[in-house]
Amino acid sequence: MKKIVLIFVLGFLIFGIVSFSKSHFAPIYIEIPTNWPKPVYDFKKNPLTEEGFQLGRHLFYDPILSKDNTISCSSCHLQATGFTHVDHELSHGIEGKIGTRNSLTLQNLAWSKNFMWDGGVNHLDVQAITPITSEVEMNETLENVVNKLQKSEKYVDLFEKAFRTKKITGQLTLKAISQFLVSLTTTNSKYDKFIRNEEEFTEMEQKGYALFQNHCTSCHKEPLLTNNEFRNNGLPMVADLKDLGRMKITQNSKDSLLFKVPTLRNIEFTFPYMHDGRFKTLTEVIKHYNSGVQKSRTLSKELHQPMNLNDNERTELVAFLKTLTDKTFLFNKKYAYPK
Amino acid sequence: MSFLNYLLELENLKMKKSFHIIYFLSLSSFSLFGQNEIDSLSLKINPKWSVNNFKLNTTYISKQKDTLKITQFKFYISDFQITYEDNTILSDKKSHLIDLEKPNTTLLAITKNNKKEIKSINFSIGVDSLASVSGALSGDLDLSNGMYWAWQSGYINMKIEGTSSSCKTRKNSFNFHIGGYLNPYYAMRKIEIPINKLQNQINLTVDLERFFSEINLKEMNSVMIPGNDAMALANLSSKIFYIE
Repeated sequence: MKKIVLIFVLGFLIFGIVSFSKSHFAPIYIEIPTNWPKPVYDFKKNPLTEEGFQLGRHLFYDPILSKDNTISCSSCHLQATGFTHVDHELSHGIEGKIGTRNSLTLQNLAWSKNFMWDGGVNHLDVQAITPITSEVEMNETLENVVNKLQKSEKYVDLFEKAFRTKKITGQLTLKAISQFLVSLTTTNSKYDKFIRNEEEFTEMEQKGYALFQNHCTSCHKEPLLTNNEFRNNGLPMVADLKDLGRMKITQNSKDSLLFKVPTLRNIEFTFPYMHDGRFKTLTEVIKHYNSGVQKSRTLSKELHQPMNLNDNERTELVAFLKTLTDKTFLFNKKYAYPK
Repeated sequence: MSFLNYLLELENLKMKKSFHIIYFLSLSSFSLFGQNEIDSLSLKINPKWSVNNFKLNTTYISKQKDTLKITQFKFYISDFQITYEDNTILSDKKSHLIDLEKPNTTLLAITKNNKKEIKSINFSIGVDSLASVSGALSGDLDLSNGMYWAWQSGYINMKIEGTSSSCKTRKNSFNFHIGGYLNPYYAMRKIEIPINKLQNQINLTVDLERFFSEINLKEMNSVMIPGNDAMALANLSSKIFYIE
């Protein structure tokens, strides 16, 4: 009988320890503005926690993901520029190799149905395997990444905190990266505050907004500033890249030269623009839509008529585009390199 | 409270030690060494090159006169189903990765042995479209198994890699990554094989000679995306399984 009592007490103690440690498993909830659509990402299948987010953040900034430990996600996705790279048209990877496209921004990814300029990736959780295995980006295998992480005391500890297991797997590695990525939400630009009636637009921004709604929102749909679809926006094909975009995935000629409609959030800082980074400034981009669109079989129907904006109107449109800048996102310390 | 229960269970275990240990041992042996248990029904995959046992990294000559070596052979078996003589059906919804580099993956403990005559078996080669759109999965479907495409999402149903002097490619290599989950290039294939026998172990032969007898390696040596070629190879892959 004495034994049974002892076991009872011991059991209670263990139960207490377990429930105490559970309270350290801190759930995170993402704030979604009221007028926004429902996220696409299924949070039930990967519940966000502070520990999972922090693990994902460490992985995002760690070159351990690449074959020679030189390239991390942040090599091409820098926070201060909306998590894309600047300066060069096409993204650089391992051993100075150059890819064929300009890296996309990482913003509000929980609302994306598919990923990459051609939409070839169908789920955020499997996105990271693309740069990891690309010969010109990280040139590594997920299997080897898992092996390297398993040998690292730091990561065994971080995985245990996040997922209650010391056994690191591909699944947990990818889910942790997703936890960081879906947390990269930008909802506090001047545009957002204007919509929420918290701030006023200047006259110029107001006029630019009206032009934007007239000419741009059928593809750059509010509030995400993308319709999540693919369009041929009339860029002449560059001979040395011969990039057919979406058609590479679907093998359907209707998709020739179609690329993802990117979000315009923080567009002021995410230059260069377009899938091949051909435009350095917003002025060049607007000039393209104003008079540079090249007609072809798959050209988006919205672009058959040129915008024909005058000089004043073009300046107004740029003024509006700059209201999409969200400094609370670009300089948020919780998304920065983990100290 | 589960911990408390567990501790009480431990106490019980001491009392009924011998019984529990026997129970535990029989359980673990069922899952680990299913083939030796009279009580279990298992599936054994036997890779062959014609009538001989097939081995990786061994030179073979195909009916097309290609001299070749296979360095990697991996594939998924999903939705394994047994139809008994009385028309009852037993199914295993899981996807199993068979990898010839890991011999323990060629033996699957499927179910308890019902000791009934088996009319037929059917299964799919590959992974269904739902799995291909479900993000990062675990176990045999973990992306670190190297059976998932990167720049175009979706599982590779079957992977055959090797070298042949007939291939005028880098390192004379050939690579067949057969997959695709979207129509019209849906590459999973369902196979049904009659058995009509009482069996404790189903011996499923996969004959690689049959695969290469219809491929001219000089002309076809690299298929790594969904499409018409992958569909043709998927059709071919469904013809290489049989029961001896």
